[in-house]
Amino acid sequence: MTAVAEHGKQHLLEVEADLMQTTFLLSGAIEKLGASFMAIHETVTAQQQRIDSLISAIELPQDEVQSITEYREKIGEEVNAAITGLQFQDMTSQLIARTIKRMNGLSELLAALATHGDGMETEHEHEDIARLLAEMNASLSTRNDELKGGLRKSVAQHDMDSGEIELF
Amino acid sequence: MAKTILAVDDSGSLRQMVAFSLKAAGYDVVSAVDGQDGLNKAKEKTVDLVLTDQNMPIMDGLTLIKNLRDLGSYQKVPILMLTTESSDEMKAKGKAAGANGWLVKPFDPKRLIEVVQKVIG
Repeated sequence: MTAVAEHGKQHLLEVEADLMQTTFLLSGAIEKLGASFMAIHETVTAQQQRIDSLISAIELPQDEVQSITEYREKIGEEVNAAITGLQFQDMTSQLIARTIKRMNGLSELLAALATHGDGMETEHEHEDIARLLAEMNASLSTRNDELKGGLRKSVAQHDMDSGEIELF
Repeated sequence: MAKTILAVDDSGSLRQMVAFSLKAAGYDVVSAVDGQDGLNKAKEKTVDLVLTDQNMPIMDGLTLIKNLRDLGSYQKVPILMLTTESSDEMKAKGKAAGANGWLVKPFDPKRLIEVVQKVIG
C-alpha cells in the first residue's frame, strides 16, 4: 500500500508542476495580450482622430462618411468584446489555484494512506486489518474536513459570456 | 469635474480592463490590489464609487465593505461587487455587508458603464 501511495504522489507532483507551468504561461500570455490591446487601441484612437481631422478639412461624399462611421462602431463593439474575453485569466487562475489545493490535499491523503498502510501486513488477522482501515478512514475524514473550507468553488462560469448584474 | 472610482482587484489584467473601460467613459480611476490596499486608498481620498472583487489575498471584498461602512465618510458611497462569485448565498452576504449591487465576471464594458452611470451619474 505504501508503494501505491508513493506512486500516486509522484503522479500528483507531475500534475502540480504542469499546472504551475500553465499558470505562468497564462500569466505571460495575458500580460502580452493586455499590452498589445492597449497599443492597438491607442493607435486606432489616433488614427480615428486623424480621420476626423481629414473629414472636417475636406468634403467627403456622405456614403464615405457613413462607411467610416460604421467602421468606427464595429471597432467599438470589437474592443468591448476583447475586454470581456481578456478577463479569462482571472477565472482560470482561480480554478488552477483551487485544483492545486485539491491536489495537495490528495497528496496528504496518500501520505496518510502510506503511514497507516505500513503497519498492514498480509499475515495480520482480520481484526488488525479492520482496525488499521478504521484508523486510516478517520485520518482521511479529518483531513477532508480540513480541506473543505479552502476548496469552495468560486468560479461557476463555463463560458466567457458577460455575467449577470443585480442592483440591491 | 470627473467622478472618481476606486477599483479593487488582485488580478492585474482585471484592474487594467476595469480602469480602461471606466477611463474611456470619463471617470478617474484609483486602483488597489487587495482589500487592505483598497481601504488605505479609500481613507486617503473619499471616492464616488467603490468597485471591488470578492476573493483577494490579505483582505477580501466583503471585509473591505464592512470596514468602509464603518467609516463615516463611506456610509452612503455606493459599493458594487465585481466578482466571479454568482451564488445567491454570496450575494446575500454582500447585501448584508452593505454592497449596493453585484456584477458577475466577466463584465461587458458597455453594461458596466451603464450600471456605473445609473449609480453615480
